[in-house]
Amino acid sequence: MEWLARTGSFARNLFHRPQIDQELDREVSSYVELLAEQKVKKGLGRDEALRQARIELGGAAQVQEEVRRVRAGAWLGTFWQDLKYGARILRNNPGFTVVAALTFAIGIGANATIFSMVNELLLRPLPVEKPEQLTYLLGRSTEHWGNTFSYPDFEDIRNQTEGVFSDVAVEELFHMDGLSYAGKTQTMWSNYVSTNFFTMLGIRPALGSFIPPDSSLAGNEPVLVVGYSFWKSHLGGDPNIVGQHASVNGRAVTIVGVAPEGFGGTFNLVDVQGYLPVSFADSEPADKLNRQDRERGAGLLVARLKPGVTLAKAQAVLEVVANRLADQYPKIHKGLMLRPVQLGNGLTNSTGENPLPIMSALFLTLAGLVLVLAAANLANLLLVRALARNREMAVRSALGAARARLIRQVLTETALLVLLGFAGGMIFGVGGSRTVSSLPLQTDFPFVLAFPFDWRVFCYALAGALVVALICGLVPAWRASSADLNEVMRESARNLSPRRQRFRSVLVVAQVGGSLMLLIVAGLFVRSLRNVQHTDLGFDPDQVMNFTMDVHHAGLEEVHGREFYDQLLVRAHSLPGVESASLAQEVALGLEVMGGEIKIPGRQEVPGQPKASANCNSVSPDYFKVLRIPILRGRGILESDSASAMHVAVISQAMAERYWPGRDPLGQQFTQLQHPDRPFQVVGVFKDARMTELTGPIEPFFFMPIAQNYIARETLQVRTSGKPSAAAKPVLEMIHSIQPALPVGDVQSMNQVMDGLGGFFIYRLGAAMAGALGLLGLALAIVGVYGVISYSAAQRTHEIGIRMALGALPGQAVKAIFRQGLIIVGCGIVLGVLAAAAIAKLVGSFLVGVSAIDPVTYLGVSLLLAAIALLASFIPARRASRVDPVIALRHE
Amino acid sequence: MPSKQVELLQGTLDMLILKTLRLGPLHGLGIAERIEQVTQGTFQVKPGSLFPALHRMEEKGWLGASWGESENKRRAKYYALTKAGRRQLETETERWKQISLAVARALEAN
Repeated sequence: MEWLARTGSFARNLFHRPQIDQELDREVSSYVELLAEQKVKKGLGRDEALRQARIELGGAAQVQEEVRRVRAGAWLGTFWQDLKYGARILRNNPGFTVVAALTFAIGIGANATIFSMVNELLLRPLPVEKPEQLTYLLGRSTEHWGNTFSYPDFEDIRNQTEGVFSDVAVEELFHMDGLSYAGKTQTMWSNYVSTNFFTMLGIRPALGSFIPPDSSLAGNEPVLVVGYSFWKSHLGGDPNIVGQHASVNGRAVTIVGVAPEGFGGTFNLVDVQGYLPVSFADSEPADKLNRQDRERGAGLLVARLKPGVTLAKAQAVLEVVANRLADQYPKIHKGLMLRPVQLGNGLTNSTGENPLPIMSALFLTLAGLVLVLAAANLANLLLVRALARNREMAVRSALGAARARLIRQVLTETALLVLLGFAGGMIFGVGGSRTVSSLPLQTDFPFVLAFPFDWRVFCYALAGALVVALICGLVPAWRASSADLNEVMRESARNLSPRRQRFRSVLVVAQVGGSLMLLIVAGLFVRSLRNVQHTDLGFDPDQVMNFTMDVHHAGLEEVHGREFYDQLLVRAHSLPGVESASLAQEVALGLEVMGGEIKIPGRQEVPGQPKASANCNSVSPDYFKVLRIPILRGRGILESDSASAMHVAVISQAMAERYWPGRDPLGQQFTQLQHPDRPFQVVGVFKDARMTELTGPIEPFFFMPIAQNYIARETLQVRTSGKPSAAAKPVLEMIHSIQPALPVGDVQSMNQVMDGLGGFFIYRLGAAMAGALGLLGLALAIVGVYGVISYSAAQRTHEIGIRMALGALPGQAVKAIFRQGLIIVGCGIVLGVLAAAAIAKLVGSFLVGVSAIDPVTYLGVSLLLAAIALLASFIPARRASRVDPVIALRHE
Repeated sequence: MPSKQVELLQGTLDMLILKTLRLGPLHGLGIAERIEQVTQGTFQVKPGSLFPALHRMEEKGWLGASWGESENKRRAKYYALTKAGRRQLETETERWKQISLAVARALEAN
C-alpha cells in the first residue's frame, strides 16, 4: 500500500506544487514562531528570541530545499530544470546543433528506410488468424524441391494428415484472367482456391461472403471473390457489388464477396486481384485442364498446424504419407519426400530457400554502420563541447553539484539533441520508404512494393537512437563531470590533454574505416550493375515493343484464336513504323519461364546428376528477326511448320553442346517429359541468348513453332523503326479494331522489361541503396576528419605562431598538421579494407562478374577516399599556416 | 552537552518519530523536543533532518497531518500516526531489538 500513498503524493506534488510549497513555508515559520515563543518564556526579548530561533532553524530556504529533495517525484523537477537549461544551450549554439542533429538524422533515416523494407519482407505477419500456425508444403521426387501439387495429391495429403493439420487448402497461383464487368473487360490476376481456403486462414470478407463450402472442396458454383484493392481501384469500389453478375474468360460468374483490406494472398509482394473456386479451371482450355491428373502440378498446399503440433511432428506424419504415395504411385512419386515450411509472413519463392534474410542482414549491417558513423560524429562533437565546458563543470562541481547530477545534465542535453535528430530521422525515413515503395516495377502483374512505416519501424529507429544517445552521451558526460577544478583552472580551457586528443583521433580513424567499407561495398554493387547492364544478351532489346493479350478473355476458342493471331501478325506488319512483328508465349527475361525435364533417346541419366532439362518458348517465324537472334546452323521457324507438320525445335548452342557433344544436332530428336508421344526434331541452332536469366551460365533453351503449340495467351512483339513507344497507339488501335473488348496488358518496350524484376531491377536497387549508404558514410567521414584536424590546428595556433616567429616556413607548419591527417586517413584505410574483406562473403552472393575482394574496386575507392579525406585535412592545416605570428602569440 | 550528541543512524530517526507520535499528535517542534527529552539530550533533531523525515513519512502514508492550534493559540501542523505507521513502528521496533541484541552479543563475546 506504500506505493499507492507515494503515487498519490507524486500526483499531488506534480499538480498542486504551489499550495504544497506554501504550506511548507507556513509550517517552517510556525516552527520558528513556536521556538521563539519558548525562548521568550525563558526570558529573552522577542527580537532576540526570533533571531536565535532562526539560527537554530539553520536557514528556512535550506530546510525547504531538503524537504523538496525527498518528495516523491523530486527528480521530475530537476529533469525539467536540466531540460530548460539544455534547450537554452542548444539554441545558443545553432551551428553545432544543426550539424550534430543532421548527421544523426541521416543515420536514423537510412536505418528506418532499410528496416521498413526488412519489416515488410521478413517480419510483418500475414493478416490472418494465428499466422504462426500456417505452413506450406514442399515435395520432391527428383533433385529439386517444388511447391506445387496435383489436385488428387492434395486430397490424399489432406485426408491423411488430419492428426497434425487442422486443415489443408490448395491455391493455384496467379492466373491471368479476363474479367468482364459493367461493360468493360480487363485483366485480372487471380488464384483458384479450394472452398476451405478462407475459413482455413480464418479471415472475414470485407463485403458479402467467400466461396461457399462444399464437400468436394473444388467448388460447384461459378463464384468470384475480388481482392480489396482491385475492387477499389478497378471496380470503382462499388458497395453494391455483392450479387452482381460478371464473366471471367467468357464464363458467367457471380461476385459473392470482397476479400478483407490488406489481404493479398499468401505471397508477400503480390496483391491477388480475384479468387475463383478450383473447379473454375475445369472449363479452361486444354493447357489448364484435367484436375484429376495426378501428374499435373496445380497448386500450392497451405496447411494450418493444430494447436500444440510442432513442425517436426507434422514432418514425421508427412514422411509416412509420402512413403504411402510413393508405394501407390511409383511411376510418379518414386522416392517422394514431403516437408512442411513455416509460411511466416508470406512466401518468397518456390524452393523454400529464401535469399531475403542474407540480403536484409547485409543492408541492415551497412545501414547500422552509417548510424555508427553518425554516432561517432556526434560523440566527437560532444567531446569538443565537453572540453569547452570544462571550466563550467569544474566550477559547478566545486560549488557542490554532485557528479551524478552533472552527468545527468549533460545526458539530458544529448538526449535533446538526439530527439531533434530522431525527429529529422523520422522525416528522412518516411521519405526514404516512400521513395522505395514508389519504384516502377515495369509490369502489369499486381506486385506491391509497399513498405509502410509502421510501429515496428518506429520502435527499431527509436531503439537505435536510444542506444546511440546513451553511448554518445555517457562518454563525454563522464569526462566532463570528472573535470578536476585545480587542473582546469591551471591549464587553459583551450588545451587538450593528449589522451583525449588521441581518443578523438581513434574515433575519426574508425569513421574513415567504416566509410571506406561502405564505399567499397557500394563500388562492388555498382560494378556488378554495370556488368549486368553490359552483359551480352544475345538479342537486341532496343526498339522492340510488347503487347500481351489472352484471346480466351474475349471468349475465343482455339480455332478463332488462331485466326485472330494470324490476322494480327499480317496487320501488324503493314503498320507504318513497324519493321517486323512476331508472337511469343513468353517474353525474354520476363517473369515466367516455361520448360522442364526432357528425354533424349540414347542418353543415360547418371544417378545424382541433374537430369536433362531445357527451358523453352513457342514463337512465330519472325521472332528471330524481331529480337535479332542469329541462326547459326540449319533454319529458324518457318510458316510451313504448321500444326499438322512434324514437330520441330530450334535449339540453343548451349543445348547442342550439352546434349549432343561432338555430334551434329540437326536431325536429332528429343521429347518433353509431359508429352512422351510427341518428339521434336532439331532443325536449327541459334546463337546463345539470355532468355531466362541475366546472370550465371547460359542454360539449354529451345524454340518451337507457335502453330504447333497453340496457347490463348501471346505477346505480340514489334520491331519499330522509330521510338518503340510511338508504336503503342497504332498497334492497340489495330488490335481493338479486330477484337474491341480484348484487354491488352504489359504494353511496354523490351528495354522497360529489362528494367523490371526479371532484369536489372534488383541490381539497380542494390546499387542505389549501397551507393546511397556509401555516400552518406563518405559525407560523415569528411565532417569527422575536417572537424578533428581543424580543431587540432586551432589548438596549435600558438605553437605555430612561435615556430614561425622563430623562422619556420609556412610549409613546415602545414606539414606538421597535415601529417596528423595523413596518419588518421592511412590507419582508417587499412581498417576499412580489412572490414570490407571481412564481410566479402556476405556481399559476394549478390555480385555479378566481380569478386567480393576485387582489387580494382578496393584500390580505386581507397584512393578516392584518401584524396577527399586529405583535402579535408589540408584546408584547416593551410589556414593554420596563414596565421600572423603576432596575432597568434597575442591570442593567449 | 555537545559531546554527548550522537549522529543518528539511518532509519533510526524514523523509528524515534513514530515512537514519539504513538502517545498522540504533535507538531514538528514538539516531536524534536520530545525526542531530545526522552533520549536525555543524546539526540538533537535539527529541522534540516526533521522536516524531510516528516514529509517523507507522510508521503509514505505512515503519518497523517493536519493544521491545529498550539497551547498558546498558534497555528501549527500536527502529525499523527496512521494505521500503516503503527504497523511500521512494530516492524521497526522488532528489527531494532534484533539488531541491538545481535550487536550486544557480538560485543560481549570474547
